[in-house]
Amino acid sequence: MRGTCLFAAIAAALAVPCAAQTVAPPPSFLAPALGYCIACHQLPENIGPRTRADLGPALTGERMRTLGRTKVREIIEDPTKANPDTVMPPYGRHRILEAAEIQKLVEFLLALP
Amino acid sequence: MRCLSLLVAAAFVATPLAFAATPDAVRSDIAARVKEKLPDLAPSDYALGAAALDPELRARVQDNAAAAAPVVASGKALWTRKFKDGRSLSGCFPNGGRRVAQTYPQYDARLKRVITLEMAVNQCLKAHNETLYDPAEPETMGAVTAYVRSLADGQRAAVRMPAGADERFEQGRRLYFTRLGQRNFACASCHLQGAGKRYGEVPLSPPVGQTTHWPVIRDGKAVTLQARIRECLELMGAAAFPPGSEELNDLEYFLSYLSNGQALAANPYRNW
Repeated sequence: MRGTCLFAAIAAALAVPCAAQTVAPPPSFLAPALGYCIACHQLPENIGPRTRADLGPALTGERMRTLGRTKVREIIEDPTKANPDTVMPPYGRHRILEAAEIQKLVEFLLALP
Repeated sequence: MRCLSLLVAAAFVATPLAFAATPDAVRSDIAARVKEKLPDLAPSDYALGAAALDPELRARVQDNAAAAAPVVASGKALWTRKFKDGRSLSGCFPNGGRRVAQTYPQYDARLKRVITLEMAVNQCLKAHNETLYDPAEPETMGAVTAYVRSLADGQRAAVRMPAGADERFEQGRRLYFTRLGQRNFACASCHLQGAGKRYGEVPLSPPVGQTTHWPVIRDGKAVTLQARIRECLELMGAAAFPPGSEELNDLEYFLSYLSNGQALAANPYRNW
């Protein structure tokens, strides 16, 4: 009985960090006055709100990790450097987002499934 | 810094159109690009705007067709109201205003500027020593345009491009393709480059047909085309040009010319 309780306690303790690791979009991803990325991009299933937005490509962790942390940050800061025709706003160059907010977005995108 | 104050960025959205292109060449080019983006959409549906691209939105518009009636009725009352001199707005326009809205905006060669329907209404009021309407006010100018444009429902847009007008058209075209504001969007970024795609949940309407269904009726009020463009500019993080400004008039002229041949269908319901 004692062993079972101990196992349950350990399992519960492990479950907390696991739940904390659930990927959730930061406020700037959703807020119209901030990044509002959700207006153009869809997220993988079970991550954030479901939308039909497709002005920008759907976001996947695999694609983000292929690009790498530096490139993802550069794209958010000023996507026109890589693609002058893009419709994506230059969040860093035009000071729409602070550096810390961009960093949170980068980490979120890299953690996507 | 973060919201709607803002900077004017600039940089043109890439466009293959040459600066010297004639209005007809520009119109043909844009029509071809819309057709390429939306090959399955019948040109006759362009005038439905976003509702043409989403059956649910289209049904919503159809189900709420009666929403315009009170607005049109109050517009009619203003249109026929007797001025102090016994005349009325109705008397300032040919045929009492029937089947004239499809010819607006017009180019005034003497003033060398674009005259929108709203400006023509105010010119009439001014000529008769009446108080002018605020071009952005739904209860007056919005209602009047809702009524007079309803008198042209089904008429094909027929905006003329007389000698000298191409400069105004070109200014409108330049504005349409110029990136503005904190978000660095041009009108063309969304409505040409992204035509048919969804921003949020709503499909982006193509430029052809965009001017034929104004005003729209939102929350029981008439929202004019320029009022809607100003909302777009604010979303772009740009300082919106004032209603009736030369910039918005030129933009309306450019857009309206693109829609020539499309049937007018004023006062559709909107809740998006």
